[in-house]
Amino acid sequence: MKHFDEFSRPEEYVSPMMKHFRTVLRNLLEKEVMPYRREFDEDWDEHRIIKPIFDKIMGRNGLGFQRALFPEKLGGWGLGHSDYLGGIGYAMAEEMGRVDTGIAVAFLVTLWPLLTILVEPHVNWSLAREFAPMFCNSDKAVFCALCMTEPQGGADIENLELLRGRTIRTTARLEGNEWVINGHKLWPTNTGGVASLLAVPCTTSPGSDDPNDYALIFVPADTEGVTQGGAYEKAGMAADKNSDVWFEDVRVPSWYRAHGPGTDAQVFMGHIIPLGNVGSMGMLVGSMLNLYERLYEFVSTRTYQNRPLKENDAIAGIIGQIAGDIDICRIIGHEGAMIIDRRNKPYGKPLNSEEVIGKTRNMKYFVADRAVENFGRAMDVLGVYGVDREWDIEKHWRDIKMIQLWMGGKQLCQMEAARYFYNCNTL
Amino acid sequence: MKKDLDEIFIYPKSLVDDDAIGFASTVRDWANKEIISRRLEYQKNYDKLFVEKSKKLFVDIGLEKILLPEGYGGIGWNSPSRAPGMLLIFSEVGRADATTGFIGAIKCASLAVISMQPNDEKRTCDALIPHYFAKDLKNVALILPGAGVLGQEAPLFLGRSVGVNTHVTKRGHEVTGKDLRPMGPAADAELFCVASCDKEGKSHIVFVPSDAEGVTKGMPLRQTGLNACRNTDVSFDKVDVPREYLIQRGGAIEGLYPWLNLLLGGVSIGAAMNFYEILADWSENRTIKGGGLLKENPLCASVLADVAEEIATARLMSFSLAHIIAGTGERDRLPSTMTYPFSQMIGSRIQQSALKALNRGMELMGSAGYAKEWHVEKHWRDIKTIQSYLCGVGAEAPIKLDLARFFYDCREV
Repeated sequence: MKHFDEFSRPEEYVSPMMKHFRTVLRNLLEKEVMPYRREFDEDWDEHRIIKPIFDKIMGRNGLGFQRALFPEKLGGWGLGHSDYLGGIGYAMAEEMGRVDTGIAVAFLVTLWPLLTILVEPHVNWSLAREFAPMFCNSDKAVFCALCMTEPQGGADIENLELLRGRTIRTTARLEGNEWVINGHKLWPTNTGGVASLLAVPCTTSPGSDDPNDYALIFVPADTEGVTQGGAYEKAGMAADKNSDVWFEDVRVPSWYRAHGPGTDAQVFMGHIIPLGNVGSMGMLVGSMLNLYERLYEFVSTRTYQNRPLKENDAIAGIIGQIAGDIDICRIIGHEGAMIIDRRNKPYGKPLNSEEVIGKTRNMKYFVADRAVENFGRAMDVLGVYGVDREWDIEKHWRDIKMIQLWMGGKQLCQMEAARYFYNCNTL
Repeated sequence: MKKDLDEIFIYPKSLVDDDAIGFASTVRDWANKEIISRRLEYQKNYDKLFVEKSKKLFVDIGLEKILLPEGYGGIGWNSPSRAPGMLLIFSEVGRADATTGFIGAIKCASLAVISMQPNDEKRTCDALIPHYFAKDLKNVALILPGAGVLGQEAPLFLGRSVGVNTHVTKRGHEVTGKDLRPMGPAADAELFCVASCDKEGKSHIVFVPSDAEGVTKGMPLRQTGLNACRNTDVSFDKVDVPREYLIQRGGAIEGLYPWLNLLLGGVSIGAAMNFYEILADWSENRTIKGGGLLKENPLCASVLADVAEEIATARLMSFSLAHIIAGTGERDRLPSTMTYPFSQMIGSRIQQSALKALNRGMELMGSAGYAKEWHVEKHWRDIKTIQSYLCGVGAEAPIKLDLARFFYDCREV
């Protein structure tokens, strides 16, 4: 079997640091996660198996990945000011996605809101110092949640470019030196009692579409007035818990706002959306690399007409297309990461530019569609074995559907692409 | 949703008689009352609860006896002309719960092998029906040709490996096969309907009771959907079965597939129609872009249309298949050599369409489609499971080759 790393990636995009991250992470995941992942579905509520795994990946006694973004002088690894942020983030997503996309998203969403305060040139040193001990000094995994979706709005929050925060109903009111937050959010990753720190997009003036009224405020999960519901039961993604979150007169210091009027919206669009797209692609490509590994084994050891499945021309046509798609998707994923890492180059574009948002949305949509289709076809290649968890493909099939749906889903991706490529003004 | 499903997803009503429409209506009432309106009560462990509820369907309403010949106390629909009615009924079952439909469809398809006119097998019916089809809701699982194992040369059925072999003994037949992957509730099955070959490579169907000496079952499998249908691998170690348990007539295996494709097509279409109902209700009050109704947005409306289009065309195709199976008389009835490829072609398309409808609709519903609360994800997993089982192995490739043989007289593929 060819090694899955032989799927194409632009070698000039691969930094020594990315290789190191991959090696360290892959070794741990293959030893500590791969043998147990088939048990995750039954562990969706209690996380008895899953939680210790996160400690090994994220905690100080394990790999310590939860401190990656924090500056070195605060105990972190300084990834927030690295020119290889996109590439390394993508590589981590790919390595974790190969094993379990639920593990991947729970970890990466911990870094996700921290991007808004730890990535140059938008480092908020006060908040960095405030939260660094929580993440850098803990032996246990510590999680963040980014509480975006609201009951009435679906993908409206992610559609900031058009709606500019007009539909947000979670309010932040400044009283003295405190923000008072009220609202209701749905589905954030790492809720259901998991997250210790919540990042909450709010409006300071309900109904306003002035970006100055968009506020991103950090809220420790144990603050009075914060209530997380029980975890939803879902089709897959068992390692990722989601729930309702209510904010009732929640008070946090005024300096817990990410930056301030205008900049919060700018950083949200620039860091959250493009890096979310790149992380999503990494998870999808990683899961498809594992699809290839499992499919290779099946088509090499099972027969049609008493010959290996892969030696039948018609079946080879199907599995050839699957491998071809994986190859192309991996190139696209790396290119998406490089769009992030070109941000400070003369030929790069700002992360909050229409081009970066439109192109990474488009890339994520394409890769997600290919993944959904290829996992479905691979299950059919396995036929009566395709629905069997022992072959791993069906679990990925259930898990990765969620990646296609999140962050506004496919249709918002199509709209963002149309806005950029056709100069649409009203979508 | 205010509209009647049958007014939206039309079908040729001339193919279905009043008996079938009445039966389907009773099943729909059962579905609405026992299952669909009570799903939220069954948040935990609902798969198993639905199967318990299905006892009323099979016993009280009488689905269990529908294909049974009248001579065995059945309703006597063991005629191909009943295919459209059977399709209509199984769509209603699938609308409530695909697992119930799947288990029922497999049992009916197995019964059709021995009871369907004009190929009814009197001696086999006498031997099997009283024990396995006429009382106490016995489960049946199928073992069909599929993937072979490298290094183990196997007899073939249209390219697929037949993992079970039989040979004649003084008392009947001896059946052998190792690590077989059934389709259906094998862990709870009392009877297996098995595609097998003799030492000359001639294929036939043999029935194997699960309590016969030499039958072993593995642990229940964990599978994508149809979770209350507990499947497991099975081995037969020189299992003796009576002579009448083996169907010798040619074309018996080919004759099984049209019924499987028809009934399971009905189940998946029914599940997809229920998804349509859920989606239609959901889209009534969902807004996007700060207030506009989601269904009034042209892009979202196009996706909603895709969902309806896939279901509507799948339903029309399924009645075409029913019509092919039924014929309009002896002269119009197709030989199994033709019914088989058409059923494979249409059956495959139906499953693809049903799954596409779910996939597209879930794109709009986002996380609501993914959470168990809405019941959408269960339909999605169940339909995918049926589709993969029907593929057997190799995705659509073996069916394409079936079609190439039929349409182009290919000899080598």
